[in-house]
Amino acid sequence: MMVNSFSQFESPVFLTIPLILLALILPWAFYPSPSPRWLSNRTLTLQNWFIGRFAKQLLASSTPKVHLWATLLVSLMLYIISLNLLGMLPYTFTPTTQLSMNMGLAVPLWLATVLVGFRNQPTLSLAHLLPEGTPTLLVPVLIIIETISLLIRPFALGVRLTANLTAGHLLIQLIATATLAFMSIMPAIATLTSILLLLLTLLEIAVAMIQAYVFVLLLSLYLQENS
Amino acid sequence: MPQLNPAPWFYILIFSWLVFILIIPHKVVAHTYPNPPTSKTTESPKTESWSWPW
Repeated sequence: MMVNSFSQFESPVFLTIPLILLALILPWAFYPSPSPRWLSNRTLTLQNWFIGRFAKQLLASSTPKVHLWATLLVSLMLYIISLNLLGMLPYTFTPTTQLSMNMGLAVPLWLATVLVGFRNQPTLSLAHLLPEGTPTLLVPVLIIIETISLLIRPFALGVRLTANLTAGHLLIQLIATATLAFMSIMPAIATLTSILLLLLTLLEIAVAMIQAYVFVLLLSLYLQENS
Repeated sequence: MPQLNPAPWFYILIFSWLVFILIIPHKVVAHTYPNPPTSKTTESPKTESWSWPW
């Protein structure tokens, strides 16, 4: 078994217990159940504020039919952003670097948006495959192109999240290794590299949040298009 | 790339969906929101001056 830079992404198993179970279940200890008190503690207030503002912002420009998906989309956002941000801590495992999990989320949810569209308004959903105002000669080509772009959406959704997080974690590991290697030989370069590492970590925290948002936003857009 | 190893794919899929369905929506839906405050209307209420019935 070759140990390489990608080894950090192997689903860890300790004493035959797959640790991804812990990585998936323990983050929810950070989200206490809201109490019926009028004024709750800071954690609950912040989470309440975040969930409410996010739901409003995501669903403000959509029809009431799309609002039926509110719980699903907000849960998805909370899921991905928590897993991503907790993965930024050292020595943690990020389940969203696993293609299996991201494709497992992306394909069923995308398929659900497509099926909802085809069930409720089949003509309009099919009409999305041909943009308005296309010259007649281009019609067959464009239908093929639009179908391909429709079918590639779940893969794009899943792979985008996986690749962004994997690349970020990989870069952090590589630059940290470089910093450590430089410390004994050229401490000045090591200092520069550690500043680079700090900036990269800040970027990755931003990427973690943005990628979660993009996932949910695109899904809600596919839904709005189809409902 | 270890992510392409098909061995843990199925159980990662199952467990991530189980957590997504069983744990999170319960916590999300438990957050309640009071009604948003309405702005006060500028019209003053119409009050009849009390006329004593004598």
